[in-house]
Amino acid sequence: MSKYIIPALFVLIFAYSFVKKVKPYDAFTEGAKSAIPFAMSVFPYLASIFVLTELFEASGLSDAVSRLVSPLFNLLGIPKELTKLVLIKPFSGNGALAILSEIYTQYGVDSYLSRCASVIYGSSETVFYVAAVYFAGAKTKNLTLPIIISLIASFASCVFACFICLVM
Amino acid sequence: MNVIFGLVILISSILLLFINPDAMLSSMLSGGQKALDLSLKIVVIHAVWMGVFELLERSGLSNKFARLLRPVNKFLFGKLPDKANDYMSLNISANILGMSGATTPMGIKSINELEKHPDTQYAITMFFVINATSIQLIPSSVLALRTSLGSVSPSDIILPTVLATLLSSVIGILLVKIFVKKPR
Repeated sequence: MSKYIIPALFVLIFAYSFVKKVKPYDAFTEGAKSAIPFAMSVFPYLASIFVLTELFEASGLSDAVSRLVSPLFNLLGIPKELTKLVLIKPFSGNGALAILSEIYTQYGVDSYLSRCASVIYGSSETVFYVAAVYFAGAKTKNLTLPIIISLIASFASCVFACFICLVM
Repeated sequence: MNVIFGLVILISSILLLFINPDAMLSSMLSGGQKALDLSLKIVVIHAVWMGVFELLERSGLSNKFARLLRPVNKFLFGKLPDKANDYMSLNISANILGMSGATTPMGIKSINELEKHPDTQYAITMFFVINATSIQLIPSSVLALRTSLGSVSPSDIILPTVLATLLSSVIGILLVKIFVKKPR
């Protein structure tokens, strides 16, 4: 079903702009122009976040933090095998995907742990990445409250994920 | 952000100094490389979606569309400047449809537009939280990975994922409503 959405949307958009006599080539080119300046403005923020994530992993700090918070997560119903996934997801989508496929191969795709990990991966967002990109060109730099709120909400969905996979 | 960044890098460096000093520079460089790869991907995605978006705007379609979502926006964000309302409606629909390429360009335009007006801190926060708790309906990358690894029923996880993501959005929205003051 979802694969039809994009082509259908484009039919609608281009047909409508013909009716409205908008010059499609001019408009499209004009819009595309902003892509490079935008990517350039985001790059430094992405670089900082990725350097941070890499060091966090390479130094073994992420493992140490995982071990430290594991008991607490366990208390809330998050199995210790999934702690790292929950911790990495806010920083890096690719990192989380790598952990997810590791969990799949290690515990079997259809196991409770894997299903639970799938739901955690699918329901939470890369909060720090979204913050970096959305606010790259913005004047607002005080993001503490929005980031904390998003992290709490994401974490709640992780707890919920582990619970709902027990019953569904 | 500055505190977290400083602390994590400091502690990581101290650890690496003792365990694996060779890995320090190489892992930082690999972080930079990943940022570059992603930026290139962003150029490509934005070139397409910003093009489409310009067309939407010039034809007036985005405005028509935004009018449909106005009641929802009003409930979530309060009173909004017209143009910001257009951008935000497109961003939220792209989110729901799972068009992850389209959400970011429109999201950024929304924030830049909101910042031009006074008293929009509440709307900006709410808007960010909604995007950062994603309302995606079909977790396509997870489905693809599960299928490729031979899951007996890869789609098992769709309903739980939708419920979990819905819950995170609801909690996020509630927290913003509680902790951020809405302008009168």
